[in-house]
Formats: sequence, C-alpha cells, structure tokens
Amino acid sequence: MRLLEESSMRKWVPAFALAASVALSACVQTRQYADVQFTVPQGNYKLLVLRPDVTVGSLTTGGMVEPRADWTEQARANIVAALRAQQASRGGNVTIIEHRNELPGVPAQELADVERLNFAVDQAIVQHKYLGDYLPTKRGRGLDWTLGQDAVRLGQKTGYDYALFLHAEDQVASTGRVALGIIGLAGCFVGFCAPNIGGAEQLDYASLVDLKTGEVVWFNVVSAASQVPGIKFGELRTPQGAAQMVERLLGRMRPGAEVRRAQGAR
Amino acid sequence: MCTRCLEMSRRSLLVGGGVAAAALHTGAAQARIRPSDMSPLIGPGFRPTDADEQGLWKEMERVEEEISGSNLLITDPNITGYLRNLIGDVGGPAAKDFRIYLARIPEFNAMMFPTGFAVVFSGLLLRMRNEAQLAGVIAHESGHFLRRHMIRSWRDQRRKTDIFAIGSMLAGVGGAAGGVYLGDYVRLAELGTILSLFKYSREMEAEADAMGAKLIAEAGYAPVEMANIWQQLIGEERASAAYRGKRRDRGYSLFATHPAPESRMADLRADAAEVTIPGKAYDNHRARYLATIGPIRQMLLDDQVKLNDPGASQYLIETLALDGWNGLLRFYEGEVWRLRYRTAKGDDTRAAQSYAAAVLYPDAPADAWRWHGIFLLKQGRAAEAKAAFSKYLMMAPNAPDAAWVRQTIG
Repeated sequence: MRLLEESSMRKWVPAFALAASVALSACVQTRQYADVQFTVPQGNYKLLVLRPDVTVGSLTTGGMVEPRADWTEQARANIVAALRAQQASRGGNVTIIEHRNELPGVPAQELADVERLNFAVDQAIVQHKYLGDYLPTKRGRGLDWTLGQDAVRLGQKTGYDYALFLHAEDQVASTGRVALGIIGLAGCFVGFCAPNIGGAEQLDYASLVDLKTGEVVWFNVVSAASQVPGIKFGELRTPQGAAQMVERLLGRMRPGAEVRRAQGAR
Repeated sequence: MCTRCLEMSRRSLLVGGGVAAAALHTGAAQARIRPSDMSPLIGPGFRPTDADEQGLWKEMERVEEEISGSNLLITDPNITGYLRNLIGDVGGPAAKDFRIYLARIPEFNAMMFPTGFAVVFSGLLLRMRNEAQLAGVIAHESGHFLRRHMIRSWRDQRRKTDIFAIGSMLAGVGGAAGGVYLGDYVRLAELGTILSLFKYSREMEAEADAMGAKLIAEAGYAPVEMANIWQQLIGEERASAAYRGKRRDRGYSLFATHPAPESRMADLRADAAEVTIPGKAYDNHRARYLATIGPIRQMLLDDQVKLNDPGASQYLIETLALDGWNGLLRFYEGEVWRLRYRTAKGDDTRAAQSYAAAVLYPDAPADAWRWHGIFLLKQGRAAEAKAAFSKYLMMAPNAPDAAWVRQTIG
C-alpha cells in the first residue's frame, strides 16, 4: 500500500511542476518611470514620433532569431495605426515619420544627431533604472535625464510639443520550435521534463521627450516572454496584438511623483 | 550524485580529443579553393526572393542609413569616387550595385554587408602600397557578396543549431526513457557544432580570397599583390608583438573566423600563379594610388602613430619608405619615438634624429620644424633651434602656439 502511494506521488510531481511552469511561462512585465514634474499630455498637444523601430523575426528550432521582412512591415503598419488611434482619443495631433528626411525644415543629419543622442540616453536610463546600476545621486528624483538644447532646437524649429521614440522587437516561435517544445513536454512523462526551452518573446520600450525643455519626461519598458513555445501573448503581426502592445506601453502613463503628491493633497 | 560521471566524462574527453584532432587535421589538410572554381552566384541587380534573405536585407536598411550618415566617414569626393570606381572594376556582375563607404578608423579592415555595401577602414589606405593591393581587398569583399556568403553562413548556422537542438532534446528524452545519461555527449556535440560553424566561416573567407584573386586578375591587376598584403601584415603583427615583449598570435585556431595569415598568403600565391596568364601585362598602378591618397596621407599617419603601437607604426613607416623616404614619413617616425619616449631605450635620440632627417626634405610638415627646434633646444643648440623655430613660424604663422614660439626665440 505504501509502495503504491509513493509511486503515484512520483508520477504526480512532474505534472504539478509542469502545471506551475506553464502558468508562469508567459509573463508580461511593464515598468515605467517619469520625471517628478511630469503631467500626462492631454488635450491639444503636438506629438512627433520618430522612425518607430520595429523588427519581427521567427524563432528557429535551434533558438536563433530570423528576421522577417513581411512580418516586420505588417507589424510596423499595425503599430502605427494603433498609435494614431490611441493618440487621437487623447486629443493629440500626431506625426509619424519613417525617414530622417521627412521632417520639413530639419536636415536629415540634424535629426540623426538627435536620434543618436536619444539612443545613448535611453541606454543610460536602461542601465541605471532597469538593470540594477542604480545611481545614488538620482535616488528619489524620478526620471532625471535630458537631451538638452538639441531637442529644444528641434521643438522650436518644428513646433512640436513632444517627441516619442519607440522600439519594438518581437519573435514568433516557428513550427519547429513549437514541435521541439512538444517533445520536451512529452519527455515529462519519462523524467526529462523540458517544455520550457523558450518561445515567443517581445521587448518594447518608449521614451517621451518634452521638446520645450529637452528633458526625457517619461520612459516605459514592456517585456513579455513565454518559456514554452506555442504559448502566445499578442503578436505584433496582428492588429489586435499591436494595439495591445501600444496600450501596454503607452496606455497607462502615470504622472510624476510631485504631481501625484499635489493631486493627493488636494 | 553519480559515480559513473567521472568515467563518462573521461571517455567523452577522449572522444572529444579525437574529434578535435580530426577537425584540426582536416583543417590543416583542407584543400585550397581554386579561383577557377569560383564563379559569381548572382547577376546584376540582385534582389532576394527567399523569406530569410529578405529579412536579412530588411534589417540592413537601417544599418546602411546609420553608416552612410555616420560622422566617422571620410567624404572627400576624390577619394570616395576613387573607391567607387575601384569596386566598379573588380565587383564582377554586381559592380554597379555596390556602395562603398570609407570610415576613419586606423585599423587594417574592410567589410561587406549582406545587401552589397562595403565599409573600408582608413587604416587600410595607409597600409596598401599600390592600387592592386587595395583592389585585392575590395575584390575579396565583393567576393563575399557575389558568392552569397552572408545568407549561406546564416543558413549553415540555422541548420546546425536546429540539428543540435533536436539532437540534444532527443538525447535527453531518449536517454531518460532508456535510463542512460547522455549529457556529456550533448556537450561534446555542442563543441562540435561550434567548431563546425567556425570552420564554415574560414571556408567562406578562403572562397572570397580565391574569388578576389580571379576578379583582380581579370581587371588587369597583378594578382600576386594580394599575397603581398598578407606578408606585410604578418611582418607588422610580428613587429608590434616584439616591441611589447610578446609573441605574435599566429591565428591558427579552431575558433578562428578567418584562416591564419600564413595560410592565406600561401594560398593566394598559388591562386596568383593559377590566374596569371603568361604574356598578359599586369599593373599595380602605384602612382595613381599615391596621388589619390596623397591629400589624406598625413591624417592616416597621424591616426596610426597615436595608437601608441610603436612596433607596428615603425614597421609600417619603414614599409612605406621602401618606395622612398620623404619628410612626412621621417617626421612621423620621430613622432612614434617621441610619443613613447623611453629615454633608457634611446627614444629621445631616435626622435631627434628623425626630426633632423625630416627637415632635410622639402615636404617636411611645419610640425617637423617645431619638434626639430625643441630637440635642438634640449641639446643646447640655441642658435640652430632659433632658425628651426623661425622656419616653423614662417610655415605656420597662425599656429596655436605661435605666440609662445615667438617669445621663446626672442
């Protein structure tokens, strides 16, 4: 009797572990930071979106990411449409440019400089706000980075209130990868349980720059990943998936700490 | 945890050693890829049609936009036009499709991107002794594009990682079902996969060399110049290591992406012999080359000596001086030793001698006179120093230190 109990226990353990791992295997995380004085843009504001950087690839059986041109195009179009719809609902006036030479009155080289500067600043934000290298000098100061006069000049020349930089990369598990996950799942019944080899993955981030002050006023990162290939959480290739991403990334902007405190006091 | 692990891993290591030895053997004995077997795999105006290659091209759009707008680029129209003409001559069927950018980076390198744009580092222009050598490097890069190396390597990687992933999963599941632990063999297979990827990369480089030799010979350049480049690079690496008290890394490694310079040189000599048609006139167009890069040569030398790699810099200067010493080369020879300045090793004397030699040539730059003057002052030869400084002020009246020099000479 005892022997039987033990053996049935042993059978159940991997099943529990499997259930737990599947439940945990698709998770979406977002974490945003804002300038302490940041108020969410509302009403009649002018927003410039610079070259949304979108790549969609296929995760091969062996775990490499193969970029796909058609999916990338599709995803970019979906994201742009979702972004327009979202900003229009807030009253914003949005211009989305695809190439550096599309902004009247601003030479491509000048725009490139702003973009490169923003890229470097974004990297610093990720390093010091997300990856653990916290700076004691910036503790409790919200998001405290600026693009300086270059961004102010861009605002003066073009009349935009804000610039938004957006990056989205998405990998879709290929059929082969899903099949490999299924073999790993089947292995659970013989004691080699490996369904969690990694599947679809998405990383998106956005930064909002106030073109009147040059400051980066808001930053958000969305990362979503499923450990088990075949489990989905919204693909950028589909309009729904793109809309969901735009909502996750930009939908719930929170005002800065001081603004919230003032609102709370009132 | 398990007592057989030790035995297993020893056995695996032995097998692993065998595999590595076999790989090394085939690597060493790998037959030279013959230029006659190298024909372009694409025609003019190539556009990808497969999804994986289209994806690769799409990714490169922004890369090229970024590179073409980079502030590291040298945009002098004479030199960029010259490079465009060169790739037009040795670019085979894709000659009209290539783009070529010159980046101000003082290193020996050039690269081709999957969509057919090449980046040449300025350090290459400093090292090449004639147009044939530069054409050889550009032809090698064209060879990568013409033989579709980027997509072929990508597919090779994809295939091998797929096989490895499926194999290790099956080994895990099958092993668990059969009650055997195969993890050590999986590790071994991983090493094998990695080694095989590097080997494939070296094969692609060898193909590009063979294709390049064929292309420059067809364009009328002396094909043996490609082998000479490697001979010179070996000399430079050796000199650089010697001055640092080290031994040169000869580049023979299972983990190398490129074949070792020695094997490339040997293969290229054989390639040159194969593609040379007896009786045909080949040229290296040295005069045209020197005339074109003349205006930026000082900048190239300046960037090189500031790397503070005296062994390599001195070797390069001496190599360039095989075509004749001049004021510019002597001045930068002085700079090499002045920047290191270990008086115990006589760097000060060497620098002083080089500056003194430089000013004997009519093309000595103003700074040669300035440093010549400073070293004369140090030696207590004030009257001669004064003459040198006067010459400096005459050549560079608006130099940032002109006021100071005027005050010094009174």
